[in-house]
Amino acid sequence: MSARARRRLSTWGVRVGLAAFVVLALGPIVWGVVTSLYPTSALTNVPPDLDPSQLTLDNYADVLASDRSLTRGLVNSAIVATLTAFVSLSLGSAAAYALARLRVPGGNRILLGVLATQMFPGIVIAIPLFLVFSQLGWVDTYPALVLTYLSFTLPIVIWILKGFFEAIPPQLERAAAVDGASTIQIFRLVILPISLPPLFATGVFAFIEAWNEFFFANILTRINIKTAPLAIAEFAGQYQTLYGQMLAAAVLASIPVVVLAVVFRRFILQGFVEGAVKG
Amino acid sequence: MLIAVLAYPILASIVLAFTEVSPSPGGFDLAWVGLDNYARMPSDPAFAIAFRNSIYFTLVEVVAVVGLSLVVALMLNHPAGRNAAFRVILLVPWALAPVANAVLWKWIYNANYGILNAILLQLGLIDEKVVWLGDPFLALNMILVADIWKAIPFIALLLLAGLQNIPSYLYRAARLDGAGAWQRFRFVTLPGLRTPILISIVLQSIWALKVFDLIFVLTKGGPSDGTVLLNFLAWRVTFNFLNFGYGAAIANVLFVFMFLLAIAYVRTLDPNRGRRAPVTA
Repeated sequence: MSARARRRLSTWGVRVGLAAFVVLALGPIVWGVVTSLYPTSALTNVPPDLDPSQLTLDNYADVLASDRSLTRGLVNSAIVATLTAFVSLSLGSAAAYALARLRVPGGNRILLGVLATQMFPGIVIAIPLFLVFSQLGWVDTYPALVLTYLSFTLPIVIWILKGFFEAIPPQLERAAAVDGASTIQIFRLVILPISLPPLFATGVFAFIEAWNEFFFANILTRINIKTAPLAIAEFAGQYQTLYGQMLAAAVLASIPVVVLAVVFRRFILQGFVEGAVKG
Repeated sequence: MLIAVLAYPILASIVLAFTEVSPSPGGFDLAWVGLDNYARMPSDPAFAIAFRNSIYFTLVEVVAVVGLSLVVALMLNHPAGRNAAFRVILLVPWALAPVANAVLWKWIYNANYGILNAILLQLGLIDEKVVWLGDPFLALNMILVADIWKAIPFIALLLLAGLQNIPSYLYRAARLDGAGAWQRFRFVTLPGLRTPILISIVLQSIWALKVFDLIFVLTKGGPSDGTVLLNFLAWRVTFNFLNFGYGAAIANVLFVFMFLLAIAYVRTLDPNRGRRAPVTA
């Protein structure tokens, strides 16, 4: 076989592989979305009755209107995730700048150590945390959840932003310093404006993490601040599962984070994925 | 300060594991019980099952995720797969909430109306509907499938980033030396991906040991504890059976495993180490 024929064969092999990959990656999601648009009666027909005339938004209306706390969950998730993102950024950007510029002795080691704690199983942290929060009467409050999420978003935000700050040429800051700006002024007036895209995108990352989190939310909330993932799990846990509604709830809760991920894809690809390798 | 905040729960967990916690008005009473909580483990059948399941789950998950991700990354690095749309496709399952992923698979696996049975029946691969989550070992494997599906995107993107860091002159040089496709893969691609692959293995092991949402939604650990992993067992003992001390002890066993993995990750990342002495495989 000639080299060209072989290359063409491999290109076709890759194309077939890519097609399989697209079907496998998107198939389950497409099926979930389709399901959410049909009444349960159509889905429990064998074979499922996917006549387009049956298409309906009833499941969405039901999950949003019902007393099953999805609307409340979405609101709670939005509050918790926004707070987490906001605080992560405010504290994280200052800490990252300090680690990037002001020679902190052993800074890198400290950070690697902090990063390593992210790998501890949640349950190790959850048990003492739950006991402390119950004694403080904080279970089922926003601060308990936000503080917990900060403990795992902050280190990652610091880690990623430090990489960005280090990439900024120090001449910029020296020029500002010559003009008489203090360190804090330099940070606010020079560094922050040019770091807005990575800052915003790191915030998005913290938002997604907090929005999707289930394990701690399940332990640290009762009624008042149930988040969206808990509401979805409740749909799945019912004795007779209403599949259409369950998936409508999942779709609603997924839209914000999927949209954010796709919009900020360039940053996520560069910042997080490559950051995990570069160290 | 940050270290103190993170260290406190871990120290507290170590202490808790030596105690028996009972609720009391206005708080909790701790009673010292020494090593009792650890001594219980060998005779606890649920612990034995969870331990075995965790090892199986982690091994299969890591091999499958890293292997399949490598295939995906190689395809996306091939001229035919360079289109950015493919990377966007990967981001969708990645961003999906784990709970949303869990309910999605609960529906796909549904014995009566699930699409998995419908497709397999249609293709003639099975003769009758399979109750995917009805048999302990089968259920564990089905949870594995759902988790592998969710885990591949990140690892694939990570390996893809690694592939793009391999200088193309290495391939050209290999070609000049007459290396075939397999030899270029074996002697240029794989060595170039050494660090990303190591990192993937460590990260994925950690994530596999943390799986919770899928088990909670799909099986709650059943049938007959077939899908109980250590993480889930520690949660159940603590928050369902309210046995905080024993739960903490189980969590600490898990912690030891993950601590070792975390050290492995930091060592792989630490640039100074590599420079001082090349790591021998």
